[in-house]
Amino acid sequence: MRTLLLSPELFLGEGGIARIMRCYLKALCENAAAGDRVDALVLNDSTLADARIARYATPALGKLIGCGRSKLNFLQQAFRLTSGVDQVICGHLHQLTLLWLLNHVRRRFRYSLVAHGIEVWRPYSLLETRALLGAHRILCISEYTRRQILRFCPTLEPSRLCVVANTLDPFLEIGAEPFKPAGLAGPVILSVSRLTDADSYKGVDTLIEALPGILREFPLAQLRIVGGGDDLPRLRDLAARLRIASSVHFTGIIDDESLRREYAACELFALPSRREGFGLVYLEAMTFGKPCLAARAGGAPEVVNDRVGALADYGNIPEIVAAVLDLVRHPRDPAAIRQHGQTFAFPAFRSRLAAALA
Amino acid sequence: MCGIAGIVAPLLDQAVRESVLARMIDRQRHRGPDDSGFVSNASASLGMARLAIIDPAHGHQPMSSPDRRFHLVFNGAIYNHRELRTTLESDWTFRTHCDTEVLLAAFVRHGPDCLGKLRGMFAFAVWDAQEQVLFAARDGLGIKPLYYVRRPDRSLIFASELNAVLASRLVEREIDATSVGEYLAWFSVPAPRTIYRGIANLPAGHSLRLDREGRLSTQAWWSLPTHQQPHQIARDYSAFAHGLREQLDDSIRAHRVADVPVGAFLSGGMDSTAIAGLMIRGGARQLKTFSIGFEEAGYAEQDSAREAARFLGTEHHEDILTGARVAADLPRILAAFDQPTGDGINTYYASALASRNGVKVALSGLGGDELFGTYPSFRDLPKLQRLLPWWRRLPQKTQQWIVAKLRSKPQTRARKLADFLAHARDLHELASLQRRVLPEVSRLALLSSEARALATRLGPHHPMLEDFAFDLTSADDFQIVSAWELRTYMANVLLRDSDVMSMAHSLELRVPFVDTRLLEWLWPQRSYFKRDPRHPKRALADAVADVVPASIRKRPKQGFTLPFPLWMREELRPFLDETFSSSSLAHCPWLNAPAVTALWKDYIDGTDSRAWSRVWTVAMLVAFVNRKPEGLNTNSH
Repeated sequence: MRTLLLSPELFLGEGGIARIMRCYLKALCENAAAGDRVDALVLNDSTLADARIARYATPALGKLIGCGRSKLNFLQQAFRLTSGVDQVICGHLHQLTLLWLLNHVRRRFRYSLVAHGIEVWRPYSLLETRALLGAHRILCISEYTRRQILRFCPTLEPSRLCVVANTLDPFLEIGAEPFKPAGLAGPVILSVSRLTDADSYKGVDTLIEALPGILREFPLAQLRIVGGGDDLPRLRDLAARLRIASSVHFTGIIDDESLRREYAACELFALPSRREGFGLVYLEAMTFGKPCLAARAGGAPEVVNDRVGALADYGNIPEIVAAVLDLVRHPRDPAAIRQHGQTFAFPAFRSRLAAALA
Repeated sequence: MCGIAGIVAPLLDQAVRESVLARMIDRQRHRGPDDSGFVSNASASLGMARLAIIDPAHGHQPMSSPDRRFHLVFNGAIYNHRELRTTLESDWTFRTHCDTEVLLAAFVRHGPDCLGKLRGMFAFAVWDAQEQVLFAARDGLGIKPLYYVRRPDRSLIFASELNAVLASRLVEREIDATSVGEYLAWFSVPAPRTIYRGIANLPAGHSLRLDREGRLSTQAWWSLPTHQQPHQIARDYSAFAHGLREQLDDSIRAHRVADVPVGAFLSGGMDSTAIAGLMIRGGARQLKTFSIGFEEAGYAEQDSAREAARFLGTEHHEDILTGARVAADLPRILAAFDQPTGDGINTYYASALASRNGVKVALSGLGGDELFGTYPSFRDLPKLQRLLPWWRRLPQKTQQWIVAKLRSKPQTRARKLADFLAHARDLHELASLQRRVLPEVSRLALLSSEARALATRLGPHHPMLEDFAFDLTSADDFQIVSAWELRTYMANVLLRDSDVMSMAHSLELRVPFVDTRLLEWLWPQRSYFKRDPRHPKRALADAVADVVPASIRKRPKQGFTLPFPLWMREELRPFLDETFSSSSLAHCPWLNAPAVTALWKDYIDGTDSRAWSRVWTVAMLVAFVNRKPEGLNTNSH
C-alpha cells in the first residue's frame, strides 16, 4: 500500500500541528507492512534534511518533500505524488479541498483528514463540505472536535469521524533538573502559551486576574508565563495594574531544556483556555507529574479531570482561584498523573490510528 | 412538591450542620407548609418541607431505605409512580402509597439509571451513608430547581431555592458581576450560573455526584431524542392528529394524579383551554379554573377566559389586576424572588388566586408555543440562516461597515440584526441570540467597565450554546428552534418563575405540555405536521377540536402581556423613579448608573412603548438588590 501524508509543516516550527503531524509520520511509518511505502509532502518546510527525520522515519519512508511555502510547488508535487497512491492523510482542512479535486482527476484513492481544532470549528464552504463528505475518515483529536464537525456538517456519516486523541512526542525528554529560581518559596504556577492577540482566548489574562485572590492565601505564590507574542504588553500592563507585577514572570520564548526545567519546578500547570482542541501542554505537564488547571471548555476536559487536576469555567475568576487553591492544598498524586498521561502515549496513539484507518 | 435542602460537610460539627439545615428548611417553609423533617449523620444532613399532594397522610421525608443506607429528599411529583411500583414490588415492601417511596425503591434497585424510568417533574437528592456519596438530579426539562454551592473545604450545600442556600449563612450574598451581564442579555440568569457568585444552578436534565473524597461531578442524563424510530412517525396528518390526541390524553391523565383538589389556569388561549378541556374530558368534575384580567383596553383577555369557562362548564375565578395593586404588592413579589426576573408576575397572581380558592395543584398550558412553533423565531430564524452563506461571501470590510451602521441606529431591531450578522454562523447561534432582551451594544453600555470586560470576554452567546448544539446534530430547523426555546426561555424564565411564584403560594403548578413522554413522541414527527405557517397551532387545534370552542381555535395567537407600558408611566412610576434613583443605583456597582438613568429617562420621554421590557428587566435587577428579602409574606388581596 502506498500512503501519502500532506501536512502544513513538520519540522519548521514547534506549533501543535507540526508536533502532532510528526507523530502521524512516525505512526504511519511504523504501521506500514513490508512492501508498503509512506511519502510525505509538506507545504511550509523548505528543507527536509533535518537530523530529526531519522527519528520519526522507518525504511518505509519514501519521498519527503518540502515546498518552502510555495503553494504552486505544493500543488504540482501533490499532483505527482497522488499518482498510484492508495490513501492520503491530510493535516489541514485547506489541503482537503485539493485532495478532493485530485481524487476526481486521478484514479480513486482514499483520503482522510486530521481535524485538529479551531480550524474546523466553523461553517464550511460548499467545496469544503463536498471534500469532507468524500473523506474516508476524519481523524478528530478529541470528541469535542468531532462534535463540532458534526454540528457544522450534519450530513456527514458519524461513523466516519474517529477520535484519535493527540499524543506526546515520544522523544520528549523529562530528565530535567527542577529549576526553582532563588527566592521562590511559594507555590509556582506555570503557564505555557503563544501570547498573541489572536490567542487571547487561551485565558492567560484570566490567570493574571486570579493571582490576587491566590496571593491572599499564598502570598509567595508565583505565576510564570512561558511564551511570546504581540499580546505581551497588554498582559504586562494587566499585571502592573493589579499591582502584582512582582509575582508574575514572563520568561519569553525559551528553549526545550529550559521549558523542561520550568515544568519540573512548578507546583501546577494552568491554562484555562476557552478553545483548546485538545491541549498538548496539559499532557506535557502530566509527563512531569504536575496537576493541571484547565477550563471546562473545548477538548480540555477530555484530558484533564478531577484526579489529575481541576476544571474551572472559562473567565470565572473566583472559580479559577478556588481551583488553584484546591490543587495547592490537596496535591494530586504525581504517579497517578503520570499514569493518566500514559493513556495518551505514542504506542496507544499508533494503535488507535491503525484501527481508524483499517 | 416540597422544598429540599442538604449539607454534606464531614468537617463540620453535626450540631452546627443541623442548625444550618434548620435555617434552610425554615426559609422555604412556603414550599411545604404541611410537614417537615430531617435526617443527619456523621457527614451529611438532609431535610425538607413538604406540600402533601400524593398520599398526604404518609410520605414523610427524608425517607430512608429499611437498612438505613439510603436517605432521600425529593421535590416534585412522579406521575408514573403506580406503574413503576408494580415493577419494584418483587423486592421492596411498600409502606406508603406515595411517589417518594417509589422513587427511593427505584433508586435502591437501579441507582442513577432510575432517572430514565421516571415520568414527572423532580429534583431530588439521595445520600448513600455506606459509600458516603451524594447523588442529586433534576428532571429532563428543568421544571423543578436545584441550587448548590461547593465550599473551599470541599463541602456541599444544596436547596430548592437560592434564598434557602443563603439562609445557611455559610455562603456570601455577593452579586456576581458576570451574572449581571448574563441577566441583561437573557431576562434571567441562565443555568449553570445564578445571580450570586459561587452558587450554581444544576442545569435541566443533569445529575450531580459528590464522592467520599469530596470530588464533585455533574453530567447530563437526559437529552432531546436523537434516534428516530420509523414506526413512531405518523404516516399522514390524520394519523398525526390522532396520535397527538392520544399523547395529550395520556399526559393529562398523568398530570392529574393527586389526592388533593386539582385546578387549572385558564387564560382563554388555545393551550390553557385545551388543557382544561382535556381534564374535563378525562373525568375532572367541578373543575376550578383561574385567570388574570385587566381593565386596560387592548390587554383585557378575561372575555376569552370567560368564554372558554362557559363552554367547558368550569367553576371560573378571575382576578382583575390594576397597576395600583401591583405597585402595592411589589415588595412582597420581590421578596418571593430568589433571582431577579423580568417575568413571572402573572403567575404570582394566578397562583395566589388558585391558592385562595382551595386548590393545591393547578395545571398550566405552558410549553405549547415551544412544541408547536408559534413564536416568530420559528418563522424568521430559518430564513435568516439561509442568508448567512451569502453574508459570509461579502468582503470583511463591507461586513464591518454594515454592522457598524446597524449598531449606530437607535432602533433595537437594527441592533439585534447587527448582532445576528456579527456573531451568528449557523441556526444554533441565531437561536442563541434571538432571545436576548438587549442588543449587545445596549447591554454593554449599561454595565460598569469591570462588568463590561467580563461580559465581553464571555461574548454574546448563550453559555450552553455548544452543549445544546452538540445535542442536535441531526435535528431539522424546526427542532433546532424548538429546542432552543425549550431550553432557554422556557427553562430559565418561564419554568423557573412558575416554580418560584407558585411555591410562594404553596401551590403545585404542573405543566402537561412539558412532559418528556409527550416530547419524545412529538419530537421525531414531521415538522410540517406540527407547524403550519398559515394556521398556527393547527395540529393542536385539530387534536382537541371537541374540547376547545371554534372561536378560540381559529383566533390568531395573542401573547399574554400585562399592561406594563401603561402602568410604568402611571401607577408604577413612583416605584420606578425610586428604583432608578441615584441612592438605589449606588448599591449596583456593576451597572453604569448614568446609562441606566438615561434608559429610564428615554423611556419616559419617548413614545416607544415596546421598550418597556428592557426597562423593566433592569428595574427588577436594581429592585432585587435593594429589596428586603426577609419576612416573606405572600398574602395578596
